Amino acid sequence: MAYQISRTITRILSGAILLIIYLVQVTNKYQAGLLAIDELQSLAQMMLLFIGIGIGVTIGMEIVFHILFSIGLAVKESVKKGSSCNDEEIEKTINQEFVEDEMAKLIDQKSLRVGYITAGIGFITSLVFLALDYPVFIMVNIFFVSFFIAGMMEGFARIFYYKRGV
Amino acid sequence: MGQKFEITNDIRKLRFFSDEMTQQQLAEKAGVSRQTIVAIEGGKYNPSLELAFRIAHAFNVPIEDVFHYRVVEKKKKNNQKGEKS
Repeated sequence: MAYQISRTITRILSGAILLIIYLVQVTNKYQAGLLAIDELQSLAQMMLLFIGIGIGVTIGMEIVFHILFSIGLAVKESVKKGSSCNDEEIEKTINQEFVEDEMAKLIDQKSLRVGYITAGIGFITSLVFLALDYPVFIMVNIFFVSFFIAGMMEGFARIFYYKRGV
Repeated sequence: MGQKFEITNDIRKLRFFSDEMTQQQLAEKAGVSRQTIVAIEGGKYNPSLELAFRIAHAFNVPIEDVFHYRVVEKKKKNNQKGEKS
């Protein structure tokens, strides 16, 4: 599988894991009475904590992914070329795979737009819920979750553009 | 307008005539990823003018030998006329 697609799948997976953990945490804390519907301070603290965790998890997964992907490429290259393969060639192949060219940039732009649209829809949905007299707790959660979903949608759009072309 | 245009290329053929140059080798010469070459060759991505020139330069041929620009609908109409007559 190509580098960009594998990397995107890793990002989608980390986003999905974080979203699930967040939803489980909110539900558990709410049911345990630790999160009051009219008290947003603890919710804000939890969200900030998850943003921090999210950044950490994303960086960690990117590092692990790059290491594993490089090892995979190196093994593939040495199996393909046999004894004639040296470290320089392996390094060259790895660098070649990580090239971010004009197609990658164009796909980045297009998929980012999908992400922004999703986040925008999430924001409007949260406002609609607020206008319908739902508590701010719900509004803030919809807004927060929409960012996670936007990140995942961006990833799906990226895979779509890589598969179908731009 | 009503006319559709299509950009086609002869990269596969040119690779074959360049001692069966691999997509990886062409990607290295053009300074892009192999995936981009795969997409261009398969008609899934139209490269920028700069990249098109770089690909042509990699084969040592003029750009018009690599990429072709043609009208799609006209050809279809011509085909229909041909079928009727």
